[in-house]
Amino acid sequence: MGFYTLSYLCILVFILATGYRVYRQWTLPIHLRWEIYPVQHETTDKLAHGGSYMEELNWWEKKPGGSLFNEMKYMVPEILFIRGLWKENRGLWWVSFPFHFGLYLMIVTFSLMVLHALVILWGGNTVLAGGAIGTLLNGLIVFMGWTGLVLGVIGSVGTFCRRIADPELREYSSFVDYFNILFILLFFLFAFFTCLFVDPLLEGAKGYVFGLLTGGGSLNGSVPGQSFFGGAAIVLASLLVAYIPLTHMSHMVMKYFFYHNVKWDDAPNLRGGSIEAAVLENLALKPTWNAKHVEADGRKSWLDIASSVPKEMK
Amino acid sequence: MKKTVKPSDMAKPSDCLCHIEPGELSPLPAPYEDFNQTTVPSLNPEKVKNIETSLDDTVAIGIPKPANREEEEALVRRFLSGLKKLFEKENNWTFLQPLLLSMEHCAKCQTCSNACPVYEMSGGKDIYRPMFRAEVLRRIYNKYLKPGGKITAKLTGDIDLNWTTIARLAELSYRCTLCRRCATVCPVGVDNGLITHEIRKLFSQEMGISPKELHEKGTVQHLRVGSSTGMNPLAAKDSVEFIQEEMEEITGYKVEIPWDVEGADILLLHNAGEMLAWPENVGAFAIIFQAAGLSWTLSSETVGYDAVNYGLWYDDVQLARVAVRHADIARRLKVKKIVMGECGHAHKALTVIADRLLTGEINIPRESAMVTLEEIVMSGKLKFDPHRNNFPVTLHDPCNYVRLMGIVEPQRRILRKIAPGFREMTPHGVENYCCGGGSGFAIMSPYNFESWRNLVSSRKKFLQILNAFKDEHLETPKYVCAPCSNCKGAIRDIISYYHAEERSRLHYGGLVELIVNAMADMKKPIIQFGDEPSWKP
Repeated sequence: MGFYTLSYLCILVFILATGYRVYRQWTLPIHLRWEIYPVQHETTDKLAHGGSYMEELNWWEKKPGGSLFNEMKYMVPEILFIRGLWKENRGLWWVSFPFHFGLYLMIVTFSLMVLHALVILWGGNTVLAGGAIGTLLNGLIVFMGWTGLVLGVIGSVGTFCRRIADPELREYSSFVDYFNILFILLFFLFAFFTCLFVDPLLEGAKGYVFGLLTGGGSLNGSVPGQSFFGGAAIVLASLLVAYIPLTHMSHMVMKYFFYHNVKWDDAPNLRGGSIEAAVLENLALKPTWNAKHVEADGRKSWLDIASSVPKEMK
Repeated sequence: MKKTVKPSDMAKPSDCLCHIEPGELSPLPAPYEDFNQTTVPSLNPEKVKNIETSLDDTVAIGIPKPANREEEEALVRRFLSGLKKLFEKENNWTFLQPLLLSMEHCAKCQTCSNACPVYEMSGGKDIYRPMFRAEVLRRIYNKYLKPGGKITAKLTGDIDLNWTTIARLAELSYRCTLCRRCATVCPVGVDNGLITHEIRKLFSQEMGISPKELHEKGTVQHLRVGSSTGMNPLAAKDSVEFIQEEMEEITGYKVEIPWDVEGADILLLHNAGEMLAWPENVGAFAIIFQAAGLSWTLSSETVGYDAVNYGLWYDDVQLARVAVRHADIARRLKVKKIVMGECGHAHKALTVIADRLLTGEINIPRESAMVTLEEIVMSGKLKFDPHRNNFPVTLHDPCNYVRLMGIVEPQRRILRKIAPGFREMTPHGVENYCCGGGSGFAIMSPYNFESWRNLVSSRKKFLQILNAFKDEHLETPKYVCAPCSNCKGAIRDIISYYHAEERSRLHYGGLVELIVNAMADMKKPIIQFGDEPSWKP
């Protein structure tokens, strides 16, 4: 039960830390526009050259356009294949892609295992036995798991070596940067050895995930915690799940905000709209900047200050 | 072997943290090889003895040296107080979310460095990496403002905080043109240009430290006198009267420039620098708008005849003050829209950035002149003879309204119609390179800063221009179309610095001059290549 307790705690940390990060982003005040083009939800004709709706005469009189399809066309390859890095820093992509894709496949494998457990909980163990759905699900779990582990090991070894060997990266790397990669590498290595030596069809892993959903109920007798490698893999995976949202590696989730709340946030402020209401709230805030020309005394609002001419030079 | 400079070195005392040796800058092609051994001239020791100069070969701000240790410590405390405010919504709601995201998620992959023209042209000097100054700020923040930071700094990246660190960081924030090319390539979305912008704000809004060209002579003079050029309303009107006369003399076309017309459709905002340095630009706008029969006006109110907003580059408070004045003037004139003339940063400041500052009646629609001009040129209202522009033309894309506003095609559609010799630079559009004068550099020339700009930050643009015309004879006159006042200033300076008018017959100007030059109604050309008219009347 010790492994399960650890996993539950780590999942709880993950949920709380990620939830806090997302909550904080959602509750931050609306900021000034700072978009950068191309904005990928633009219409196809504009997107072709990186243009915006502001290229239209009297753009404010026109119905706002925009294309979710164009955004998805960009985001899916960006998230899955890190297309930006492929274009801008090809050398790094060769190690970064397997590193990230390996992690993605771990998430996919875990999700499939959860699905596997839910199906069993819903219909009993016999539902998947011998049938096409069971064969497909089990096959996918094995394929995704193995592919992810191989890519993850290659990617994390490559990323670590690259960071050490390339002076451009080495000079700016701290202990934590190396620790993060080694942590992930260790997880991949132990999970890989578990599959290689103990659990090639990931039956034990499926059993462990089933146990996670049932408070320790075991699907079969070969849960990975019974071997050294399996136990280490569970501990490392659990700790990693808790650790990632506490670090800059949370960019896996926060990238959404980078793009939707900054780089592509081109929503115009229309009179009487929700943006205007949020701006008015911001303008009522009272700054305390100390430079004389700001003339902030803690009582004046941004609106008061923006409507004034500075008396002081500095 | 190349000497590596690390972020932690910012705190270590030395006379010069980064020096560019002759031959280290990216090489220039023929006939400019004689500049390849040129480097930034030394600062005059007498002139800089009382200011901070320990970052590199130049000085942008000229921060006075503190008189004693107590003064240094007080300045360090003020810096930390300002840094804290950058992360408070009362003080920095304007950019809090983008700042937090960029501060917390950098993977230090250096993809940004490859995209930065200053870093590339400097021969790869570490301190000019886009993430270098961001990393310095990040380390200071993590160590001195986060709980337990002094312990975790050993693990996450250490730096000492003293007056040297701070003075260098202030100067270093003025070695980036805020073109944000780095932000477009970051695989995560981190914006090191934004962090530079926030560093500048901290120094200005908390410590009163900023280049005088941007503050005292810039926004303060703008708000008090009416224009960052120093022109009061009367002087502006005089200048425009002179421009009217000049235009008739140059082109044979009589033009009336309207002032303060209440209820006009358009309030046209020019960078007032055009009135003094490039009067033909103001005149060309007037000719086009008049010939197209537009209802438009200029404003003679204080601030209203100068579109610039230098606050964009260093101070949100000053940005807000200028933007509110511009918008309020438009409201009182009861115009339907504001059209931004050929000034890139003014475009972005009033159209995009100030969009979330202007509310209610002062939220007047704003439009780029590129769009207005495209409508005129394509509408058939004016007759053109494109052969009058029968010379090689290339287009510079001002970062502020191309990459940062998405105004990319209107100016190109115009050029394709009126300039048969138009060709693109490589790369162009939203992937363009900055002119090197961005974020205020074009108007800053203290000490030897102008040389640094011409040699380092504008070098990539110069190479791009030469490359665009590489198949042309050196004797053929060529036109760099730069529809932005600051970009034009920077390009003027590189042409002059490298003697490119003499060596390559490079000339520069705006878009409206090309439009007027091709108008069939003009009796004489508005564009001259030295003493030579661009077409025979």
